[in-house]
Amino acid sequence: MSRDDLRARGLVRRYGGLTAVEHVDMDVPSGQVTGLIGPNGAGKSTLFSLLTGVEQPDEGRVHLGRRDITKMRPDARSRRGLVQTFQVPSLFPSLTVADNLLVAAENRRRDYAGGLLGMGSRGRGNALGVVEEVLGSLGLEDIRGTVAGTLPTGALRLVEFARALCARPDVLLLDEPASGLDAAETEKLSVLVRRIADDGVAILLVDHDVDLVFRVVDRVYAMVGGRVVAEGAPETVRDDPTVRSVYLAQGPLTSQATTSLGPGVAAAGSPAAGSQAMSSAGR
Amino acid sequence: MTSIDLALAGISIGAIAALSGIGLLVTYRTNGVLNLAQGGIATLVAYVFREMVVEWDLPIWLAAVIALGILSPGIGLLLERLVFRPLARRRASAAESLVASLGVLVLTLGMTAGIWGLGSRSDAPSIFPNESVTIFGDTRIGVDALAELAMVVAFCIVLGLIAAKTKFGRQIRAVVDDRQLAELSGVPADRVAAAGWALGTTMAGLTGILLAPRFQLNPYGLTLLVLETFAVVVAARLSSMPVAVLTALGIAVLQSELKQFTLEGDAGQILIVLQSNLFIFALLVLLLVVPKLRELGNGDSGSTGSFSSRGAPPAGPVSRHDARRDILGKLGGAALLLAPLTFAPADLRSAFMVPALALIFLSLVILTGYSGQLSLGVAGYAGLGALLTLKLANGDLFGIPAIPGMWAMFLGALLVAPIGLITGWPAIRRRGLTLALTTFAVGAVVSRFVFEQPTFATGLYVDPLTFFGSELTDEAFYIFELVCLAVGLLVVRNLHHGRLGRALLAVRDHTEGAAAVGVDVRNLKLLAFTVSSVVAGLGGGLLTFSSSSFAADDFAPLQSLLWFTAVIVFGADSAAGAIIAAAFIVTIDVLAPAGSSILAVGILALALGWMPGGLASAVRAGFALVARTLADEFVPAPQPTRHASARLAAGGAAGHVPGVPGAGGGAALGELRIVLPPGAPAPTAFGAALLSAVAAHAARTGLSLDALPSARTAADDSTDGRELVGHRPHLPGYPVERGAS
Repeated sequence: MSRDDLRARGLVRRYGGLTAVEHVDMDVPSGQVTGLIGPNGAGKSTLFSLLTGVEQPDEGRVHLGRRDITKMRPDARSRRGLVQTFQVPSLFPSLTVADNLLVAAENRRRDYAGGLLGMGSRGRGNALGVVEEVLGSLGLEDIRGTVAGTLPTGALRLVEFARALCARPDVLLLDEPASGLDAAETEKLSVLVRRIADDGVAILLVDHDVDLVFRVVDRVYAMVGGRVVAEGAPETVRDDPTVRSVYLAQGPLTSQATTSLGPGVAAAGSPAAGSQAMSSAGR
Repeated sequence: MTSIDLALAGISIGAIAALSGIGLLVTYRTNGVLNLAQGGIATLVAYVFREMVVEWDLPIWLAAVIALGILSPGIGLLLERLVFRPLARRRASAAESLVASLGVLVLTLGMTAGIWGLGSRSDAPSIFPNESVTIFGDTRIGVDALAELAMVVAFCIVLGLIAAKTKFGRQIRAVVDDRQLAELSGVPADRVAAAGWALGTTMAGLTGILLAPRFQLNPYGLTLLVLETFAVVVAARLSSMPVAVLTALGIAVLQSELKQFTLEGDAGQILIVLQSNLFIFALLVLLLVVPKLRELGNGDSGSTGSFSSRGAPPAGPVSRHDARRDILGKLGGAALLLAPLTFAPADLRSAFMVPALALIFLSLVILTGYSGQLSLGVAGYAGLGALLTLKLANGDLFGIPAIPGMWAMFLGALLVAPIGLITGWPAIRRRGLTLALTTFAVGAVVSRFVFEQPTFATGLYVDPLTFFGSELTDEAFYIFELVCLAVGLLVVRNLHHGRLGRALLAVRDHTEGAAAVGVDVRNLKLLAFTVSSVVAGLGGGLLTFSSSSFAADDFAPLQSLLWFTAVIVFGADSAAGAIIAAAFIVTIDVLAPAGSSILAVGILALALGWMPGGLASAVRAGFALVARTLADEFVPAPQPTRHASARLAAGGAAGHVPGVPGAGGGAALGELRIVLPPGAPAPTAFGAALLSAVAAHAARTGLSLDALPSARTAADDSTDGRELVGHRPHLPGYPVERGAS
């Protein structure tokens, strides 16, 4: 079975006078992990929202497989197989872990009206099967019944990841999945990402943790000032003079320096109001 | 009257609206709370002012000093200290603050109505002499208008200078930006917030005293009048004071200018309504036009998850939800609802209101409790349902022949669906304050432009319902009401179950997250809006038939606010809570003087700070507590049950989660297992008691109690688990720590 890949061509997004994303082309091919790095303000997040549909580009197109999805809303893109995770874990805090996954597994259909009339458990078994499989493969069986709002950050990340998988993605967009995770958890995450890509899913990984990105990806894009300044195999990009100059200005490309590169820590530490319970493992 | 005269006449109203707007903005900019209670406070102060002048014969200046110098700021300081400071401390969501200010509104309204009754008074004294001065030629302007204008200008300049030039102004900006950060930098945040409240409520009092002599003094009327000035702050996008002032003057002058025109036919009718209702119309138009208010805080303000009284709906084998059903509760509820059938005829008629009101409340449960959308306009849908039902029954709608009352009621309710769908449209992209104000404006516009218009709302006859030709007895009518309620409950049940229920809860809990996994957020919100409007319409129809008349006052815009508050108080996502709330309100209205139910709901709303899930969750927790205590008492060796446990951890870092390899960010302090009934919720209202139990158990097992000052529980495998942070003060002997994280 061939899966859809994600292609963006000539994306432009301007905010007033500032051009946050300037004519960016990007390919996220199936079965590969594609990385996106760049310093703060490089336009990574804007590009990410253009791909997920949270924002609309001023110019350019986004294609999922052969379909043009530029104008689609995020939920429509998700039903077509383009699924994202968030910088701040975004589970449904009042649902159990299993129900969180079930929401993702059963929303490729939209016929809600049947439920109103008390009908419609069609396809239920299928969704349950998907949930069970994902719970099993990520080792989450023991917390399936836990209310998501009571989980610590590390578990939240994993469950959000599991939820994304339950939506059966062709393309998986991960926004700083390692922020707030410790070294062991990050390691586990990178193994997981690799495994999913090997199943044929196209993965885009945006992260401040340059080490993580270079360790996991097949191909990497480096953005500076809204433009892609380098792309290619990790080694090529690492040795690219522009990329080196940008990162050297802030220190060498080592894991010690990566924390100074971005607000990854801050993102996990600041409690998102309204989901206080979810960010419990802050300080 | 010439245009200039009309403009000058309008200026006075405009200046008062501007003062109200300044008050709202000051409170909002210093506290992040849009004070919906502004109207209630204004009315209360106006009544007290009148009491002092008319009944106690105090000189006007003295009464004004007492009312504006002591009473009004005192109310503000009291509110800040008792209601809003605790909310700010625990970083409550904007939705919670909104409900708290609604609670204050309902409370002040209840006090006013309780003390002075719901009737109108026309003897409100005026501060300024009823004189006018010549500006030029024949054109004269009232002294009051001049004085009011002068006050507006003075306030603008002084507040502008304070904000721009003084240290206090900088502190205000710091507090607004991030209260806790500001406190850490040594800014006296509480003082800033208190000053903002005091000034805000003083402006509210001033608004009330100035408005009262121009209109009749009436609790509902005056409150609504002040609420209409929200148009001004919406135009200012909740930030710019000059824009607010100019809008206020602009709308008022325009409204006054409209008086020189007359039109024929329907357009003329609309014009006449506009001549006295331009503010409310402007509020709706501005809300639809202004793309986004500059809401403070981060974008969670739409989340009503914090009003949730329990967790997820059962999801079959996956969540291993034990099939425990609170059959006892259901039987009790059914008995409660059937009891009126044994009442004396007069009492039975009083009980007619209960199922009708319960249906209206159920519609709010659907919208707010399940799909997380605030709605302050439910009375509009209920009233439309009632109106359409009567029109159908009278054969007065589009030439359709008269339909028997029973069918007219169902059909009328269904006809509300398209209206719900259309008005739900703007709700898709709106959240929090914007959504709350938009729905309020819709309800108010419908009330003013439809319910209060003779064209629509006169000549309506409420004939008794018939069933196959024979008139329904009181008992039969009540049973019919119960059947309608059952239909509503069935819809609510289906909305809360299975895939649909989960999807709705997902949207409520995290809209972006739901969209990210393919939940069709837009259609689900529209579905909730539409279904909710139909249920409200059915309730409205029943309400009209149970009181045998259509009265615009039954569906006044303020009713929406009262009903919404009642639903939140009794548990926003609890169907049983909706029914109990209806029974509660009707019972109090029958037994106690007018306004008592408003007062009761207001008091309960302010208690929400201590029981975020509403009464429903408090009651559930109460049962759980009793059951646990009994278990402790009679079961000799408390065994950890399979379904419930609580864990303690220090420093806000939760303990390890079994089965998640490597999960857990902090030092786990060891596990405590305490016995809870399977699936028992542990809401905060009973958090203190639960913590005591934890402490006792810890003492028995010899575990260190160092963990307790920042203890939190996670109810493992239960249907609910709630944070206990913030309730430590109740636990004797442990220091009080401040704030989250």
